[in-house]
Amino acid sequence: MKPFENDPDARPCDSSRRAFLRGLPALTAAAAVAPAVAAADSPRSAQRWGMLVDVRKCIGCQACTVACIQENAVPEGSFRTVVTTYSVELTDQQQPAGTYVLPRLCNHCDDPPCVPVCPVGATFKREDGMVLVDGDRCVGCAYCVQACPYDARFINHDTHTADKCTFCAHRVDAGLLPACVETCVGGARVFGDLNDAQGELRRRIDAAEAEGALKVLKPEQRTAPQVFYVGLDPRFEGKVDGQARLWRPRASQV
Amino acid sequence: MNTAIVETIAVTREVAWLPWAVSYFFLIGLSYGAFLLSLPGVLLRRPGWGGISRLALLGALVCGLTAPVALLADLHQPGRFWHFYVHFTPSSWMSWGAFFIPVYLGGLLLYAWLAFRPLLGEHGRSDGRMAGFARLIAYGGHDSRKALVGAAVVAFVGAALVALYTGAELMVVRARPLWHTPLLPLQFVVTAFAGAVGLTLLFHRFGPARDDRDATQRLARVLAASQVVALAVGAVWLALGVTGASPVHAEALAQVAPSASWQLTAVWAVAATVITLLLAWRRPGSGLLIGLLALHSAWMMRWTVFIGGQEIPKTGAGYYSYQLPLGPEGLMGIVGTAGLWVFLLVLLTTLLPFARLSAERPTAN
Repeated sequence: MKPFENDPDARPCDSSRRAFLRGLPALTAAAAVAPAVAAADSPRSAQRWGMLVDVRKCIGCQACTVACIQENAVPEGSFRTVVTTYSVELTDQQQPAGTYVLPRLCNHCDDPPCVPVCPVGATFKREDGMVLVDGDRCVGCAYCVQACPYDARFINHDTHTADKCTFCAHRVDAGLLPACVETCVGGARVFGDLNDAQGELRRRIDAAEAEGALKVLKPEQRTAPQVFYVGLDPRFEGKVDGQARLWRPRASQV
Repeated sequence: MNTAIVETIAVTREVAWLPWAVSYFFLIGLSYGAFLLSLPGVLLRRPGWGGISRLALLGALVCGLTAPVALLADLHQPGRFWHFYVHFTPSSWMSWGAFFIPVYLGGLLLYAWLAFRPLLGEHGRSDGRMAGFARLIAYGGHDSRKALVGAAVVAFVGAALVALYTGAELMVVRARPLWHTPLLPLQFVVTAFAGAVGLTLLFHRFGPARDDRDATQRLARVLAASQVVALAVGAVWLALGVTGASPVHAEALAQVAPSASWQLTAVWAVAATVITLLLAWRRPGSGLLIGLLALHSAWMMRWTVFIGGQEIPKTGAGYYSYQLPLGPEGLMGIVGTAGLWVFLLVLLTTLLPFARLSAERPTAN
């Protein structure tokens, strides 16, 4: 039996592929302008940006970490996103320790604890769901750094203001994907409009939810994160109960 | 299935509230505590409290004027402090605090001026140092009882608001279980007051009225009472955590209980409080020692809560380790704040010498 012989969807494969290849330039152009057009056609509040992290697809290569640093000029020793990596050993079984990776970033919570504590209103949530910092207004009091349950914020020693992941708002506003999503080797990060029922993000989230596999970090904090996870092991949902790493980079030492 | 997890790659978040913040909370606490201690002698004019209360008011002034400088230095953008006043954010305790501090300090300065005005006038008529300046700011040196009561009310309201906001500011931070306990504001108030008694004991010990044993014993009794309250609040905190009656206290306890360093800190804090209590109760004459112990406990409590609290990762395994930097963000910041404190003490006691302040006599002349 030839491959795909009884698969009706597989039969037009070749023609589909040819058609796909012929249309590639047009697709590429459309992909580049589509989000901008969508943004222009619809009111900003109609969009709700979010992210799904499929932990099962993450290979822990830290390409997202590096891309974020490059894109956002994050100072040495600071990180807006990082793939935390753990060695996990089953102590009652004879097998080598495995590796667990968990990409972390600002969760762009719907009920962000960092916003109400800001004494000057420099931290705010945009109508499209992004939680951002007005660097010109921020006094660098670091109250938001304390209030974030995800350790996602830090004081930028170049700007002396609060810093964090912005979902690459400057790129998204220009119709591009966040740098970490763009560069993700395993396709573990899916970014998109949560309000777009036909969008990949919404479809993937709905599918994961139907399977009971959709999770967020620290759900007990009731912050309504807009960064969702699939394949998140419960042992890593909150503060990890384990041995701290020996190597600790410090901004002053790099 | 038992697992052993070892973190191999993660981010270490730096301490974002620096020792400047510890200095601020320490000094502002001492200030409002010392202000309260000034009320019996200065405002209520209770016999035997005159010298104690004037020394306490001196401490309230010195600490109250130093504290905002430390607070300002803890901002990473201190030049933008005015943003607090043009971008008021009612949802933030820190934003409210920016308004409470001037209310308290304004009230305190007015209250202190009215309280010290007759003494300033007296000093102005002498040939002591800065007598001319003392005469100038005494502005006649009158004793204005009604104005004093009014200023005391303003300062009291300001002190209460400062005590409220400094406690609530940390208590609302749900992300840090150690801070997110309803008893924390009360613990701040109790230790601040005890520290203020300790500071007053030190002033008394080094002042010309050091041989006034009645004053020392009176302060020792107040200190002993404050230590009993501190121990009681600590016991309630621990009981709520151990029994699980309060989930937030249980969570806070669970975060620190496994750490040997935190266990040592807890033993140290309890031992210091018990020793202070025993000495103040059984040997009330040991004013210098119990004064230093009380100040040490007030500082240590804040250091542990602020710096220790930030050493607990919110998502990472284990604990971060903090090493005090030697520069302005660390040791030099603490030393610099202490230097400003000493300068203000010298300035104020030159204007109003210890001898005039600590003498036991009615405020009205």
